[in-house]
Amino acid sequence: MASKSANTKIWIYLSVLIISFCMIAPVYILIKISFSEPHEVLTQHPTFLIHDVTFKHWKQVFESGNLWEPLRKSFTVASLTMLLALAIVTPASYAISRLNKKAKYIFILTLFFTKMFPVVGIALPISVTFLKWNLLDTDIGLVLAHLIGQLPFMAWILVATFSAIPFDLEESAAIDGASRMQTLSKVILPVAMQGIAVAALYVWLNSWNEFTYALYLSLSTKTMPLQIYYYVERGGFFQQAAYATILAIPVVLITFILQRYLKSDYLGGAVKG
Amino acid sequence: MNTSMKKLVTVGLSTVMVSGIIAGCAKSDDSGNTASSESKTLRVTMALSEEEWAVMRKEIIPQFEQANNAKVEAIQVEAKDVVKKLEAMKQAGKMEIDLIAQDVNNTASLVSKGLVEDLSAYKSKIPSESIGKLVDAGDFEGKTYFLPYRPNVEINYYNEKKFNQYGLTPPTTWDELLHVAKTLKEKEQIGRLALKIKLSGDVIEIVEFIRQAGGDPLVLNDEGTIKAYTFLQELWPYLSEDTLKASFSSTNGFLAQESVYYAPNWPFGVNIIVKEGGKTEIKANSGYSGPAGAVKTLGGEVVGIPVGSPNKELAVSFMEYLMSKEVQETMVTKLGWPSFRSDVYGQVEDWQKPYFEATQKGLEVAVPLSNVPYWADVNKAINESLKEVVIDRKDVKTTLDKYAAVIQKAKSDYENK
Repeated sequence: MASKSANTKIWIYLSVLIISFCMIAPVYILIKISFSEPHEVLTQHPTFLIHDVTFKHWKQVFESGNLWEPLRKSFTVASLTMLLALAIVTPASYAISRLNKKAKYIFILTLFFTKMFPVVGIALPISVTFLKWNLLDTDIGLVLAHLIGQLPFMAWILVATFSAIPFDLEESAAIDGASRMQTLSKVILPVAMQGIAVAALYVWLNSWNEFTYALYLSLSTKTMPLQIYYYVERGGFFQQAAYATILAIPVVLITFILQRYLKSDYLGGAVKG
Repeated sequence: MNTSMKKLVTVGLSTVMVSGIIAGCAKSDDSGNTASSESKTLRVTMALSEEEWAVMRKEIIPQFEQANNAKVEAIQVEAKDVVKKLEAMKQAGKMEIDLIAQDVNNTASLVSKGLVEDLSAYKSKIPSESIGKLVDAGDFEGKTYFLPYRPNVEINYYNEKKFNQYGLTPPTTWDELLHVAKTLKEKEQIGRLALKIKLSGDVIEIVEFIRQAGGDPLVLNDEGTIKAYTFLQELWPYLSEDTLKASFSSTNGFLAQESVYYAPNWPFGVNIIVKEGGKTEIKANSGYSGPAGAVKTLGGEVVGIPVGSPNKELAVSFMEYLMSKEVQETMVTKLGWPSFRSDVYGQVEDWQKPYFEATQKGLEVAVPLSNVPYWADVNKAINESLKEVVIDRKDVKTTLDKYAAVIQKAKSDYENK
């Protein structure tokens, strides 16, 4: 019995190891190319480890004048999209979650109605409207465009999160003398933090990587994905790799910052006893 | 303060904040059009690499700005995205681009969608020293929509070391092309010769094969096209699988990483493969001939003015400047771009000379894709028919008859519009 359990554990660890390797290997190769001399990469049998480290590709990207403004724009747009989405969707989702089942279902369906159309299909008419509003090359134009796609998904996640929080918790808070706002801010939101963090992370990443609206609504100022697209279409192998690595750095940082909220015992602790 | 008053104040403050953000981040109406009351800003889109942009921004644009008291805002936009951007701007009634330098093989949709100005009145500004077919490439049904700027043609890259190793020489005829493809596959068990035939994008190389056999892509079921498709059906099993993934960027990778030893691509690839990548064993020639002779598809760029451009006259001046001998010479010397003018003599760098010569030789036999407004339908028919012939191994004549009818229908639909 004990050996069977040990075998299962070994298989689990092995699977985790293989999956982790498959996920990390492409990122490693990307980073490796960005620091390698051309002769190490441009061959039929490239080495797995870096032998001749060079910083010249990174230097080229830093000196190209194509980095800081796109980085600023992407970061501003992704962060504003996330904050605005949270501000709009969190109270709305809480309210929807407290409706009866039928009404909740109708709301969710309505939210997903906007997701029924492919982005490429609706991007042109939406962009035309935004251009009429003089929102070309503006951060807020892109934020509003990104919100169109992100609000329904965030609502979907948060409605599910708030629905999972027992109503008893609110009643207990009310008995203890908390007002509705106090209940929401001091009881419900902390308990829902895990779902909120997931939704925020999801929206930030989607906005950071978004391409179609950025293509329509940017002319002079580009976002990071548009710059990557430029390097893929026009640039050399090494600049592409360096730029793609830079694109991944904020993603890692944001994930690291938000991952401390991604703990499974939030709700468990709240309803214990 | 009671609860409803608090709510009112909160809603009011929120509205003010959001309005403030929108107003603060939105662009003012006149920005981008005028730098000051005297000088104008000309917005120009081009698709260039960083090296090319450096020359454009340091060596070419400043002189025009000084001479015209204008600011030129040059912006990177890929040829395939120009249509999307102009379409959106035209529909919004806010054209933000004054001039486009557009890939000569991506102009038909701009004309058919009415996105570019008729420049027939400015045709006289084309220098009399113009050579080649780039001037014709800007004409659609008797009207001129684009003026010449920069001719280009694909050259055929090969890995000299590998060719020497197997005793091969770069192919100059279809027979030699087939021999090279067969030999490489026999020696290495996988195809090492790639063509840029994705069966979904542009049809530059398929049209080359059709014309090299004396066929007409607008007819498609003529004798020449049948010959070309029959040859491609025979050649296909010996090609590298990378053929179906070959774009400008990926082909550079295939050649540099030696997953293919022969492939056609645009001349700028030498900067990436040879200059940056140090792969000096990658050489190039002007390609092969078919039964009816040597034909290449003309590439490069032409310049046009979007409908509704706010600075049309200044855009025309910039077009003239780009066509001038002085600018064309700078482009040859600093960028290694061949010129469309017969009176331009520039000196390219030594390492670049063999590739430049291959390009010039290719340009001698370069012909633009057909300038018909229904080209998108022709393009699709060519891709789909070849896919059926080389992938599904269908009968060439029957397949081409089917797609020739599709092209004829697209033509008559356009004429009856």
